[in-house]
Amino acid sequence: MNCGVCTAICPAAEFYHYDPRVICDTVQSKDEKLIEALLRSETIWYCGECMSCKTRCPRNNTPGFIIMALRKLSQELGYFTDSEKGRQQFAIKRAIGENILNTGYCVNPDIVSPQMHPEQGPVWDWISRNTPEIMEKMGSNYKQEGVGGMRTIAPEVLEELNQIFEVTGCKTMFETIEKHSKHKADELGIEISDEGIGNEYFMTVFTDNNGTHNS
Amino acid sequence: MINLSKKLLMTNMTQHIIIIGGGPAGLEAASLLGASGYKVTVLEKEEQTGGKLRLWYKLFPDFRPSNEVQEYLANGQKMNPPEIITKAEVVSVTPEDNHHKVMLADGQILKADVVLIATGFQVFNAEKKEEYGYKIYDNVITSVDLEQQLKSGHPVKTVDGATPQRIAFIHCVGSRDKKVGNTYCSRVCCITGVKQAIEMKEHLPKAEIFNFYMDLRMFGQNFEELYIEAQQKWGITFIRGRVSEIAENIDGSLQLKAEDTLSGRPMKMNFDLVVLLVGMVPATGTEAIGKSAGLAFTAGYFLATNDTHFSQNETHTPGIFVTGTCREPLSVAETLTDARAATMRIISWLREKESNSNN
Amino acid sequence: MVSEGKKRVWEDYQKEIADDHYFYVRSCIRQTFFPGSETAFLKIMRNDLGKDVFEDARHTTCTGIGYHTDIVPLETTMTVIARHFALMTEAGYTNIIPSCVTSFGLYTEVLDSWKHFPEMEAKIRDYLWKATKREFKIPENLVHTSDIIYKFRNQIKEKSKISLVNKKTGLPLKVVEHIGCHYAKMFPATGIGGAEFPSVLTGMIESWGGSVIDYPERRHCCGFGFRQYLVMANRGYSVSNSKKKFESMQPYQPDFIVANCPGCSMFLDRWQYTIAELEGITYDNNGMGIPVLTYEEMAGLVMGYSPWELGLQMHQVSVEPLLDKLGIAYKKEEKYLGAHGQNIGEPQKPQFLIV
Repeated sequence: MNCGVCTAICPAAEFYHYDPRVICDTVQSKDEKLIEALLRSETIWYCGECMSCKTRCPRNNTPGFIIMALRKLSQELGYFTDSEKGRQQFAIKRAIGENILNTGYCVNPDIVSPQMHPEQGPVWDWISRNTPEIMEKMGSNYKQEGVGGMRTIAPEVLEELNQIFEVTGCKTMFETIEKHSKHKADELGIEISDEGIGNEYFMTVFTDNNGTHNS
Repeated sequence: MINLSKKLLMTNMTQHIIIIGGGPAGLEAASLLGASGYKVTVLEKEEQTGGKLRLWYKLFPDFRPSNEVQEYLANGQKMNPPEIITKAEVVSVTPEDNHHKVMLADGQILKADVVLIATGFQVFNAEKKEEYGYKIYDNVITSVDLEQQLKSGHPVKTVDGATPQRIAFIHCVGSRDKKVGNTYCSRVCCITGVKQAIEMKEHLPKAEIFNFYMDLRMFGQNFEELYIEAQQKWGITFIRGRVSEIAENIDGSLQLKAEDTLSGRPMKMNFDLVVLLVGMVPATGTEAIGKSAGLAFTAGYFLATNDTHFSQNETHTPGIFVTGTCREPLSVAETLTDARAATMRIISWLREKESNSNN
Repeated sequence: MVSEGKKRVWEDYQKEIADDHYFYVRSCIRQTFFPGSETAFLKIMRNDLGKDVFEDARHTTCTGIGYHTDIVPLETTMTVIARHFALMTEAGYTNIIPSCVTSFGLYTEVLDSWKHFPEMEAKIRDYLWKATKREFKIPENLVHTSDIIYKFRNQIKEKSKISLVNKKTGLPLKVVEHIGCHYAKMFPATGIGGAEFPSVLTGMIESWGGSVIDYPERRHCCGFGFRQYLVMANRGYSVSNSKKKFESMQPYQPDFIVANCPGCSMFLDRWQYTIAELEGITYDNNGMGIPVLTYEEMAGLVMGYSPWELGLQMHQVSVEPLLDKLGIAYKKEEKYLGAHGQNIGEPQKPQFLIV
C-alpha cells in the first residue's frame, strides 16, 4: 500500500540512497525494464538484511527477502558486476565462501586480519598474535580434534559440506560469481587469480567506494 | 376507517420486537418501530443508553455537539415509546420458528418475533499496536482519550502538566493492518483526525500539528472542505506516511519515525503528544450473539447481512436483523439512516409473514 | 513510562523452553570473539545447573553469514541446517539450542518455511540424503541459548555471588540491553516478549538486581549488515548505525551494555573504539567508553566467575570501571596472561580511547 513503514525504520534508508518501499513498488509493477535496471544497480546492495521491515509491514511483506531474491537473480544473470557494490560479491565468495568449504566456519580468527580490520582495535592485534594461547585460556579446543570452540572440523565433515554445496547448487552459484567476476576483471584490466584473496581484483572490489552512495 | 386502523394497531401490538443495544442504531429503530405500532423492548447492557455517542464531544464535519443527537434519540418519536431495559446484557439468541429466544447474562429468557441486533462497536485496543507504546509511554493517547479531555473543558496537557507544542495524529491505528488482524478500513477515523486536529489548533493556536496518513478518506459531504480548511485556515501539516514506531525520549517527549513517501525520505520527529486514531471493531458480545443465532461474519468479525445492495439489514436467519456499526464501520449519521432502513425492512417482513400465514 | 503496559505485552509473548537435554550448536562469531562466553555457558549449564548439554564435534557453521551475504543459496543453508537436525536426531535429542542469534533466526525461518511449503522440506530431505545419507526429525524445541539463561535466571540468582548493583551507591546498575535483530524481528512470537519489548535480557537483568534503560533507538540494528561490515568499503554503514544508538543512549548514562547476539556485542564494543579514534568522542564521562558484555559474561560475573576466565580482556572497551562498580576483585597484572600464567604481551594502547 506504499505506506512507508519499512523505509521509516530501515537503517539502509537512513544512510544510503535507498528506499525499500520504492523497491517493492518497482517489483510489483512487473516492468521488465525497471526490474532489469534494478538488478544492475547499486541500490539492491544497500540492504543490511536486518529484517526490521518484516516486523512492521501491515501487509506482511518483507522487503529484505525481496532484496535477497533480487540479489540472487542479479548474480545468476551476471548483472551484479555492473555496480561497484555488486562486484563485492566476489570478495565475499573468496573470503567467506571459500572459508566455509576449507574450514567449516563462516568466520574464524584466521580470516580477520588486523590489517584488513583496523576497527577491531589493538586488542585484536594482540589476540591475532597470540591466538592459540588465548583460546586455550578461554577453554576452547583451538584447532584440535573433538568438541569445543574453534576446533578443527574433520575432513569427512568438510566432505559432507562439500557434497551438500554441490547437490544444492551452491557450487554452481560460486562458479557463476567467479565467471562473471573474471570477465569483469579482464574487461577492466585488473589482475585476478584463480583462488584466494591475494589479488588486485579482490582488493579493488573489497576497498573501492566512489562516494556516491549516500546522496 | 377507525375500526380498520384499530384492527391494524391491535395486530401490531401482538408482535414483539427485541432490540439488542441501546446506542444510536438501536434507539432510532426502537422509536420508529414503536411509533409504527409494534411492541418494542430495547436491551442495553450499560447503565445508560446512547452507546459510544456518549464518548464524543463534537461530531464531524460541522462540530455539532453530540449532546444534540443524544437528546434527539432520548426524546424518540413520542408515540408508543419502546420499553428500555438497562443493565441487561444479552449473551445469546436462539432462533426458533415462532419466537426467538433471547437469553440475558442473569439467565432470564425473553421471547420475540423479531430480533434486531444493534450491538455496535468498540474502539480498537491500541495496546495491541505495541510499536506505538500506548499505555507504556504516557504521552501517547487515543482519539477517544482526547475527545474526553476536550469534553472536560480542562486544557489539554502532557503528563507532566506542560502545554504541548507539537502534536501528531496517527491515522489507521488498528485498521488496514494484517499484523493486528484487521485488514478493513474503519471509515470514520480520517475525518475524526481532521476534526480533532482543527479542535486542537483552536485549543492551542501556537501548537504545530501534523497528521500522518496513508490515504485521506474524505468521503462525506463537507469532508473534503474540512480538509482544505484544516490546511488553509489552520495550517495543519499532512504527511503521507504510515508511522512505523514511537519511542520515548528522556524528557518524556516522543520520537516518531515515518517515511514522507511524497518526497521519498525517512523522517524522525519529536512530539509532545501523539494521538492514535483508533479504528472500530465489533462490540464485545457481538461474536457470541452472532454465533448463537447462526449468523455469518465479515472480515473483522462484523455481522454479515444478506446482500450488499438489496438486503443490508437481513440475515440468513429469518426474523433476525442487524443494524448499525455491529455490521460495518459507519458514521453517526449513516448509523441513523441504517436504523431507519432496518425499521422499514422489519415492518415489511412482518407484514409479509402475517399475510402468508393468513393465506 | 508505564510498566504495567509492558508487562501485558510480555504476557502475550511467552514461549515454550525445554527443561533439559539440549543439543548445542556453536556460533562462528562467538567462538572467534567471545570464546570464553561459550565456555561459561556450558559451565553454568552443566556444573551449576546440572543440565545435560550435548555437543557433537561434527557440527559446522549453519552458513547464516553466507546466506545473508547472498552467496549461499537458500537450499544449501536449509540442507546444512537439516544436517544439524540429523546429528541431533542421531544423538537422541529433540531440543536444539543455537549459540548464534542469526542461526536461531535462520532455523526458525527454515522450520516456518517447511510448515508452509512441505514440498520444500521433502526436497531438502532428498538433498541431505543424496549428499550425506543422513535423515532427520524436526526438533520439538528450538530456542536461543539466551532463552535458556532467561529460563533459569532465578536459579542463577539463588546461586549468585553478586548483584547488578553499584556497590558504592547501593543503586541498581543502569543497563542498556540490546537484542539481535534476528532474534525476534522476523517471527515476533518466537521471541520472549515479542519484537517490540523483548524481555529475554530484561528478565535476566531485573532478576539479578539491575535496572533496564529504554532509550529511543533501543530497537535499532547495531549495523552489522553482513556485507556492510564484511566488505571494507561498506563499513561506514555499520559504524553509523552503532553511533546512532550510542548517541541515543548517552543521556541515560548506562553503566554497561549487554547483548544476546555475538555480533552485536562485538560491534557495540569495537565501534566505540573506532569512533573514539576517528572523532575523539566517547559516550561515557571518562573517555573510556561504555563496557559491553555478552549475556554469558553477565551471567558469569553474577555467578562469581573471574573476569579474565570469562574473557573480558578480549574486549577493546575496558570493563574495569564496571567491575569496580560491581565490587568484583581482579588482578590487573593477570589480565593478559596465557592459560598457564605465561606472559604473552599485551595490546597497545589506543590513541584516544582510554583503556
